[in-house]
Amino acid sequence: MNLVDVLEQSGLTGRGGAAFSTATKVRAAHEHGAGLLVNACDGEIGAVKDAFVVEHHLPELVRGATLVAGTRVRYAAHRGSATEARLRAAGLDVLAAPARYVSSEETSLISLAQGGLARPMTKRQPFVRGGSDSAGRRITPTVVLNAETVWRIAQVVERPDGAQWFRGHGLPDEPGPRLVAIGGAVPRPGVVETAAGVPLAALLGAAGADPGRTGPVIVGGLGGTVLRPDEAARVTWSRAGLAPLGGAPGPGVVHVLDAQACPVDALAAWFDHAAGESAGQCGPCMFGLPAIASDWHDLADGVRAGGSGSVSSRGARARLARRAESVRGRGACRFPDGVAGLASSALRALSDHLDDHARGQCVPGRTPRSSHEHALAH
Amino acid sequence: MSTRSRTDRPTLRVDRVACTGHGVCATLLPGSIRLDEWGYPVVLTAAEDGVDDGDEARAAAVRWCPALALYADRSS
Repeated sequence: MNLVDVLEQSGLTGRGGAAFSTATKVRAAHEHGAGLLVNACDGEIGAVKDAFVVEHHLPELVRGATLVAGTRVRYAAHRGSATEARLRAAGLDVLAAPARYVSSEETSLISLAQGGLARPMTKRQPFVRGGSDSAGRRITPTVVLNAETVWRIAQVVERPDGAQWFRGHGLPDEPGPRLVAIGGAVPRPGVVETAAGVPLAALLGAAGADPGRTGPVIVGGLGGTVLRPDEAARVTWSRAGLAPLGGAPGPGVVHVLDAQACPVDALAAWFDHAAGESAGQCGPCMFGLPAIASDWHDLADGVRAGGSGSVSSRGARARLARRAESVRGRGACRFPDGVAGLASSALRALSDHLDDHARGQCVPGRTPRSSHEHALAH
Repeated sequence: MSTRSRTDRPTLRVDRVACTGHGVCATLLPGSIRLDEWGYPVVLTAAEDGVDDGDEARAAAVRWCPALALYADRSS
């Protein structure tokens, strides 16, 4: 049986965040004679699983990459990272990417590999077919796969009944073992191997956190979703489980905010970071992300303005929600969409905290109203 | 939608890297493109009350985009 058929049977999807069918990508790569870039950049905030794969499963990773593209493989890692050093020590062809958020986006890596800057390119068609960038530079066919995905390819192909083994983990429509990095305010941050369908509480517990008594939890990084502590304690870590809250397992990162610190201020730092990580190419991202950060600071500063009242807070929240919506789908890459999602979820999950800020109070460890209701209902 | 079906037409898209917000498209296609608060185009779908500006206007907008950023996506 050929590689694409085995991958099709396994149901493997990309572990970098987009969860696109790996079989479909590999088939297209073969049809167009594409070279492979293995993305081991851990570009998302808090991501460490690519480093984990390179540290612990490098021979399998290399075999997986060879299965996909023979000798036409390069390995992308952040310049100066331990992952870069390990890949170089193994004698592999390394593409060193700047340690910026959008530099490890797939089209950024393709651009960098072909002599351009590590910035996203407009996809007028998928670059697995080749094409050109906005300045007209030729781009040869290239496929980008996340390091965990490539490692999983080797597992599926090399294990007896690999596709069946793979489907023995997770959910029917989200099969397979997967790595998750759990960090932030937890006693034992690290990488765990799990599968879709696990309670998020179990992942928090694995990192030594006490579900329900944490601060808010961000699932999926800078392009992720903020959950209230009570939501994080009862939600299932899967596409279906997180979708009602606007989330997805995404790139496999879970970040726990400090229950003793103000989550509104914590998120302000995330939005500031996002604004600074725009590549500055696409207008809606270049102007929209700083505007979102600024709107969030206005909400946070309600406390320092002595509580300018709920009316202006409502107005500021509506403006932020509108701006978040307005940047969606209007970048070359999905970065603005991701930050818009984070902003919308933060408005929802931190609504009680934002009310406090509007009243000129800030109570970091306050229990949200809804979790009182939740407790009363039991 | 009051005008004839647009489903047989390629979708207008903006190459966001190339676009520098001249705004010519919004002038030529007032029914289907508006500018955001920073002057960058928003391509309105029918669901967002976009109104068909006609084939000629569409072709003109693609031709006259100073940044060559507006294009008809024939793959969709």
